[in-house]
Amino acid sequence: MFDLIIRGGEIVDGTGKTRFKGDVGVRNGRIDAVGTFGGDARRIVDATGRVVAPGFIDPHTHFDVQLLWDGQARPALEHGITTVVPGNCSLSLAPLKVDDRKRLVGMFQQIEEMPPAAFTEAFEWTWESFGGYRDAIAKSLAVNVAPLVGHSVIRLWVMGADSQKRAARPDEIAAMQDLLRECLEAGAVGLSTSFVDVDEDLRPVPSRWAHAGELDALAAVLGDYGRVLQVVPEFYNTDITIARVDQLAELSLKHDITTTFSPLFDSRLTPDNVPRVMARVAEQFARGARVWPQVQTRPIDISFSFEHPSLFFARFPTWYRVMRLPRAKRIAALRDSATAEQLVAETGADGGRFVMGGLVVRGGEGAPKALEGRTLGAIADERGTSPARALIDVSLEHDLNVPFLAANLGHEASDRIGPLLADPHVHIGASDGGAHIQSFSTYGDTGYLLGHFVRDTHHLTLEAAIKKITADTAEIWGISKRGTIAAGMAADLVVFDADRIDRGNERAVFDMPGHGMRYVRDAVGIDAVIVNGEVAYRNGQYTSAHAGRICDLQGART
Amino acid sequence: MKQSRDTNAADGAVIERAEIGGGHDGQAELVVTLRFPGGGRSRVVLDTMAGMRLMHNCGVDHAAALVGHPWHRILEEKRSCSI
Repeated sequence: MFDLIIRGGEIVDGTGKTRFKGDVGVRNGRIDAVGTFGGDARRIVDATGRVVAPGFIDPHTHFDVQLLWDGQARPALEHGITTVVPGNCSLSLAPLKVDDRKRLVGMFQQIEEMPPAAFTEAFEWTWESFGGYRDAIAKSLAVNVAPLVGHSVIRLWVMGADSQKRAARPDEIAAMQDLLRECLEAGAVGLSTSFVDVDEDLRPVPSRWAHAGELDALAAVLGDYGRVLQVVPEFYNTDITIARVDQLAELSLKHDITTTFSPLFDSRLTPDNVPRVMARVAEQFARGARVWPQVQTRPIDISFSFEHPSLFFARFPTWYRVMRLPRAKRIAALRDSATAEQLVAETGADGGRFVMGGLVVRGGEGAPKALEGRTLGAIADERGTSPARALIDVSLEHDLNVPFLAANLGHEASDRIGPLLADPHVHIGASDGGAHIQSFSTYGDTGYLLGHFVRDTHHLTLEAAIKKITADTAEIWGISKRGTIAAGMAADLVVFDADRIDRGNERAVFDMPGHGMRYVRDAVGIDAVIVNGEVAYRNGQYTSAHAGRICDLQGART
Repeated sequence: MKQSRDTNAADGAVIERAEIGGGHDGQAELVVTLRFPGGGRSRVVLDTMAGMRLMHNCGVDHAAALVGHPWHRILEEKRSCSI
């Protein structure tokens, strides 16, 4: 008797081989049989006409805090994500001394837009050590977790306030090595570091104060354990990013470690960025180094309002000047008819139809429900005015607190992104799940991959795309017994309709602690998500299953 | 021509182009193309704060007006910039 049989699906097993029709039998949380076999089960999931794939693994998330009150990592799970890697970009919630909590919370708020209440209302801090944090989240997981430990918190633990003032002494580096060993022993999948992030006071985070020798010493420890180094390079400049690729390659070769950096993204304004970086990545792979660039699937959308300064307005001098006025004067200027006429005139003879007509009114705290999701062009038509005038009027009607969305402002050219995602040296990731929550939705990237780049543009076969987000990811990160459908593997499975899978429209919800707002996208075309043999999501509903666990990792070398 | 030793190549870089793009963090950013005295070009992407500081230091009120300004202005103090 099986615990579960997923019957009659097209199995895409994660290895890249051609799909085949068959059943998947699950027993004790593991896949026990695949193909055609007899026997009955306590539960049957009918997958006729559906694809059955390994659970998707998201290697770049910031669910560190959310996992303490939401072990399902909503809405990632409903998109088929069964394993997440939190702790990216040098920040994790452990190891952390009690006295340093406030400082770290400030960094999380600055970098990930996590509201203060998320750290004060939703859970009780019970740990200082990495193992303590691991135990705190492990109590109620519905997804699997392979947590990174952040370089900034290791530095903060050892050096205190000096972690943001100076390079480390040799004794401090040795102490960091000891602490990293302790974290790896407690289940950390690797170390994350950042060369770009700042704290709430706009000071470089602790990891940015490290000299190359410190990172080399920590990489040596990673080498002892066969663990991963994740890096945020200076992605604002191609030459510096390439220099980081070279640095990572040297660390990879010297210490025999896997390294990955994120993000790498394309833009029509920087068209040579990706080709140049990927050329160097290929060169380093040819030398034997492992330097995986993480590339996101979704295009970059930006948002802005008249409430906060934005470079979106920097194309037009009067808009830029008005935006920078003190708030009361800003409102007065927008209300002034002569100024408003000047603003509209600056956007072109079409009243901004070309440059602003496609902007969308986003949901959010002050956003008018009746206008949510509508374009300024449509609103202008309804009001008998121009899109630029509509932007001004809608903003004034709601005390400036109306966010607007400019979609596809980067990483948007499918004919460039599709081949990039298919590149054998590209690691699909960089979703940032659980971060930037008040700026855009970081959920549904896998649905977008399988809907857009597989079904619509055919840049990847379904088998190749699934492999990229399952078996390849497990191998890169050294995650044991996950990522493929085969006997003996963990029963992490996704059942979906290949003709429908997609990401839903972005919407604002108020489900963060303290009624905090965030943007999410619902899953489309996902029938069931199974984690360690338990059905965690089925037909649009989350279940009470909490079978997630801290991931086992491939064996340490020492 | 041989450069004097105290001349930093970056000192001579001039902004050749400035455009608005979309950033990884969901904010608009300023993409600046630099032209160096030797003929080389480089692009730098500036976030909201850095971009507005550059515009302030150059005394301009729109991105296109940055063209022709020296790149070293990015290094000037924030002074009275309100960002």
